[in-house]
Amino acid sequence: MSDGRGRPAGRRDPRRETTVIARLVTRTVVPLILVTAVALLVRGHNLPGGGFIAGVLTVTAFALTAIIYGLDELEETLLGVTVPGRGVLSGVTETFAGTFAAGLALAAAGGVAAMLAGYPFLSQAVVFVEGVPLYHEIELASALVFDLGVYLVVVGALLTILKVVGRE
Amino acid sequence: MSPDAAVLLAVLGLPFLGAALVPVVHRVLGERTAYFAAGVAAVCLALLATQADAALHATPDAGAVVVPWIPALGVELALYLDGLALLVGVLATGVGVLVFIYSAGYMRDEPGTQRYYATLLAFMGSMLGVALAADLIALFVFWELTSVTSFLLIGHYRTTDAGRYAARKSMLVTVVGGLFLLVGVVLLAHVTGEAPGLARTFTLVGTDGSMLANPEGVRGALETRGLFVPVVALFVVGAAAKSAQVPLQIWLPDAMEAPTPVSAFLHSATMVKAGVYLVGRLRPLFLPPDVAVPDWTLLVATLGLVSMAVTAVLAVGATDVKELLAYSTASHLGLIIAGYGLATEAGVEAGAFHIVNHALFKAALFLVAGIVAHEAGTRAIHDLGGLAEHLPVTAAVTVVAALGMAGVPPFNGFYSKELLFEATWEVAAHEGGLYLLFPAIAVFGSVFTVLYSIRFLMLFFGEPPDGLADPEIQAPPWSMLAPTVLLGGLAGLVGLAGVLATVGVHVEAFESFLASVVASSAVAGGHGFEYHLPTSPSPYAGMSLLAIGLGAVLYPSYDRIHRGVRRLRAVPHTSPDAYYDAGIEGLDRLGALVPRYVQTGVVRTYAAVLLASTSLLVLGGYTATGVDLPAFDGFVVGLPIALVLLVAVVGAAAVGTAPSHVAGVLTLSILGFMVAVFYVLASAPDLALTQLVVETLVLVILLLVLDELPAFYGEATRLRSITDGFVAALVGATVLVTVLVATAGRPDDRIAEFFVENGGVPAEHGPVLLDAAGGGNLVNVILVDFRAFDTLGEITVLAIAALSVLTLIAMRGTGEAP
Repeated sequence: MSDGRGRPAGRRDPRRETTVIARLVTRTVVPLILVTAVALLVRGHNLPGGGFIAGVLTVTAFALTAIIYGLDELEETLLGVTVPGRGVLSGVTETFAGTFAAGLALAAAGGVAAMLAGYPFLSQAVVFVEGVPLYHEIELASALVFDLGVYLVVVGALLTILKVVGRE
Repeated sequence: MSPDAAVLLAVLGLPFLGAALVPVVHRVLGERTAYFAAGVAAVCLALLATQADAALHATPDAGAVVVPWIPALGVELALYLDGLALLVGVLATGVGVLVFIYSAGYMRDEPGTQRYYATLLAFMGSMLGVALAADLIALFVFWELTSVTSFLLIGHYRTTDAGRYAARKSMLVTVVGGLFLLVGVVLLAHVTGEAPGLARTFTLVGTDGSMLANPEGVRGALETRGLFVPVVALFVVGAAAKSAQVPLQIWLPDAMEAPTPVSAFLHSATMVKAGVYLVGRLRPLFLPPDVAVPDWTLLVATLGLVSMAVTAVLAVGATDVKELLAYSTASHLGLIIAGYGLATEAGVEAGAFHIVNHALFKAALFLVAGIVAHEAGTRAIHDLGGLAEHLPVTAAVTVVAALGMAGVPPFNGFYSKELLFEATWEVAAHEGGLYLLFPAIAVFGSVFTVLYSIRFLMLFFGEPPDGLADPEIQAPPWSMLAPTVLLGGLAGLVGLAGVLATVGVHVEAFESFLASVVASSAVAGGHGFEYHLPTSPSPYAGMSLLAIGLGAVLYPSYDRIHRGVRRLRAVPHTSPDAYYDAGIEGLDRLGALVPRYVQTGVVRTYAAVLLASTSLLVLGGYTATGVDLPAFDGFVVGLPIALVLLVAVVGAAAVGTAPSHVAGVLTLSILGFMVAVFYVLASAPDLALTQLVVETLVLVILLLVLDELPAFYGEATRLRSITDGFVAALVGATVLVTVLVATAGRPDDRIAEFFVENGGVPAEHGPVLLDAAGGGNLVNVILVDFRAFDTLGEITVLAIAALSVLTLIAMRGTGEAP
């Protein structure tokens, strides 16, 4: 999948190489976007944010990488998947599909856990942990598990669609 | 005294369980699966028999076994057993046992026997459901289940065109009839709520608040609303479609494509009896006492008598043994319906008794027809004759059954037909005028009944035609012969009981059973029932004599009458069949128009059709429900918001004039980002964040896709521009109206207050919070806690969308070749 000059060509037309500026900006911005996404996910319970926004933001980071570096670069370098995708669920698509499946399972499992404890499906609880260094008190919400499930579904599903439609 | 709940549920459940087990059983028993199915039917029959005592003493205001089903809508699975239900249940299981045994011989070496036995068992369960259901919704469900299973059984030979045509025809006629029934059910249930002292209910019978326990009130409420005749008509159409009454009889002769045991079971003894059963069940509800000729009689008795006569004539025109029996079945069902339609006691007795008689002689005759076809290799009437020499036992059964069908004393059909003559005569003598037609039509139909009965009998007597290969005709296997003999024998016994009663010896058990069947449909409550040969001259005995005599006199010219009927049938525009075929052809042509105008393969058309129809539906919905647009009383916005909105409008306007796709997409994103800024200014940080992120993602994806799009779509024609503009305007208007209507509503603030109170961290709290959500961001708390179930649904939809993309696009071309 290489054009012989040590740079993955992907399916892009070599005459339409992206500029150095775009590549450099992407390289700088993508980690920032990802960190922001995680921050949005974690703080969602108390401040603007949440699983859905964080998920969409993460996908934006991946999509940006795909536009600037190509889908293949995204798969091989960033995600380390080298299996050529011949079947439907092989290669990176399998990872993406697995992500949204896991997210859905996580969200539902959290609900079932509440049932096992004798509460209605999807009941949430909050635990306050005292005496933590620096923070003094930390609020642990079970809703974060559910939000993490939402995050994984959004990331997995959107990336699956992006990958499949993008390959067309 | 009420029947045992567990037993009734078991009777209803066993056939379906048996049907599910057929594949396993077939693996072990092979061809002998028939006996397994017969065993299931026998167990159901025995279980029903244990409840006979309760059934004989049932009253319509108690005794229903109620299992909640959809409590919010007042729908229950209510089961009720009285004489009529017991009769239909015993027919379904009793004839079922015999038909399964018969099938062991008939279906040997036939294809698809697993499917056959499973469907036949499921049918039996559905029929028991129809008989036992006391709730109209449950009744409707089982009613349609019998249609579905009948469809599968008629189409048993899936590869023949005739089989497919017949299956589709019966399905369309009976299911559409069922829809009439459903409308009637809903109307009736709706109106019951308006009857004094009655709550809205779907329960027909068996509880204190059921319809049949309060017929006066229900009738009164129906008449107040002017719905009495429409509701009766809707139920009658449903019953007529099921019981093959004119002009909906067209599906029954075609249904003879089914294997003969199916015809004997479904199309003589049971399924076609469902319509008759419904008429009998509803009779006390719709028939006011003390009225000689109520609306019910005008509708039902007329329909029954006309069907009886018309189909009897058509039976004489039949060329195939089973076709003859099919038309004859429709004719006898007409007789039963006519009996139930008449307001006199003789009428309801005729209906109830003839259900028994017809099931016995007609099922026997169908089995005879199956033996004839199986052994002689043909069903064409003209090619058959003199079979008694080779099939003496079958011939004996035929004598008993065919003479019962003709209504010749002392065979069983005579007694019930005599009762019908009596009922029609009473009405005619009482009312005179046009009602004289009632007995006249009854006698006219009966003459033809006698004609075709003799013709069927003559299959076994007289000279065999030349083409019949004598040496090949063998005696049928015992599994085919035994059920036939048993049914014929029972028919003979019923006739014999009448003879015995004439000399004063009564078969008490049978008579009290019939009395309870009569009581189920009688208006004035039950009393005894007995039947015997006429002992003194009476007008109706004269009618019987006239019918039999005329039939016997006319029989020598049977062939001429047969040809005359066939010529009559050939007259164009008289056959409902032709209208059915034309209707189906019209639907086919309509279907061909869809791909031409809607399914063009152009995304633009799809989008336009989808968006336009969605908008029209939404706007239509607003109009239909009379939604008021809120009055516009001006609004004030600050300068920043006004500026942002202005930029957004400019951006939107610029999209239309963008010179290229990239420019268009970028301009469109101006609009999106301005909306995000608007959210910030309007103090909705969560919305703003979401809008920003989604807008960014959409922009990125669009830029990714734009690479692959053509730069131009070609010149837009004027017409296309106008239609596209119209669709765009329509969608815009719909969204505007929706936003206005949605924001005008002021929902109860208590919900919002609840969220605010319970969303945050309470001032005093322990280490674990369970009552409150404990989050500072109320929007997110609602999403993941209060309304987590909604969110779970949404992410499931997202996952399904991704899966759909995977299967639709990625798997394209990898599936099986069509």
